[in-house]
Amino acid sequence: MTRQNATQLDTAPLSEEENEKKPTTTQERQGFLPIETNAFDRCFISVVIWVAMSLFWFRFIEPMGASIWISNVIALAIAVHIVRKG
Amino acid sequence: MQSNKLGWILLAPTLVILFFFGVLPFLYVVFVSFHQWNPFAASPEMIFNGAENFRRIVFDDAFLSSLGVTVAFVVFAVLSELIIGYLLAQAFMKEFPGKSIFRTIHTLPLIMAPIIVGSVWKLMTTPSIGIIPHYLDEWFGITMNIGTSAPAAFLTIVIMDIWHWTPLVTLTLIAALVSLPRDPFEQAQIDGANKAQTFWHITLPMITPALVATIFIRLMDALRTVDEVWMLTGGGPGSSTRFLGVHIFKEVFPKTNYGYGSTISVIVLYLTIVVCWLLYVSMLAPRKNRKG
Repeated sequence: MTRQNATQLDTAPLSEEENEKKPTTTQERQGFLPIETNAFDRCFISVVIWVAMSLFWFRFIEPMGASIWISNVIALAIAVHIVRKG
Repeated sequence: MQSNKLGWILLAPTLVILFFFGVLPFLYVVFVSFHQWNPFAASPEMIFNGAENFRRIVFDDAFLSSLGVTVAFVVFAVLSELIIGYLLAQAFMKEFPGKSIFRTIHTLPLIMAPIIVGSVWKLMTTPSIGIIPHYLDEWFGITMNIGTSAPAAFLTIVIMDIWHWTPLVTLTLIAALVSLPRDPFEQAQIDGANKAQTFWHITLPMITPALVATIFIRLMDALRTVDEVWMLTGGGPGSSTRFLGVHIFKEVFPKTNYGYGSTISVIVLYLTIVVCWLLYVSMLAPRKNRKG
């Protein structure tokens, strides 16, 4: 194969089927979340929920006697669910 | 592979600078936020106190009050800037006499440092010598004193911010409007679309990326406004203009409460990131039902 042919093959537009099969660098996917997310997005969403839950817990739940560790365990469970199925 | 290596080499200086001046200070602030630390006290060492600062912040009335004031400021200022900025951008798209001079004058506030803007507005609004209270009193019989009236102080800060930052919005929206193709607008005209329909269905969707970028910039700036407010009102009267930036400043410098000040900074950063991310997701992120 000549260099020119190789270049032509490399730059030839992909068919629709090939385009769908082509792996993306960000590995975006659709889970139960309403948007397409990659691994970083799902970790970010988990951290955001964890912080929000902790602050809510400090303000409203902890004064009733429930430890913050319960919130952390729930947040961890939600994080695992989001990272795996989100 | 070769181009990848070259890319990393070209990126390396930026990444190194970003790491030392962006990532490391951020990690340090997060670290300090879990400590009680007053470096000027009798015992200046850091004392780890777990999440105690975060526990304190959700009950801190001063913080919650400044959060409310900041949110009100951000909503009023950024919305007004977007609307006025868009209208001015549309005006600058048309030809009129003196357009270039007006555009230059309109852009001048952008080159002024916020602290200068604050001192100029302080001069203009001081009751005994300021031009604004003088003419408000002479023409309308309104007595304006931002030192004693909380609504007047808040409104003055909003107007000052609009005056200072609307040109930025105008410039970015002019850039967005200039780059729009003419065909969809001509087709809409042929189809009989009115101006509102053209704006809502063609202009707005096409300038959305530029609009979102502008909102991000203004939102982040407005959430950490300090110098203008500090110069104009110092957070008063009372705590009516004590925005989050001013609150952090007062907590860290006069009170030298570095640990708790870092906690507030981390929470403000968290809120900024979450608000910007929600905005991005609601306006730009690809959704399940409109893939591709």
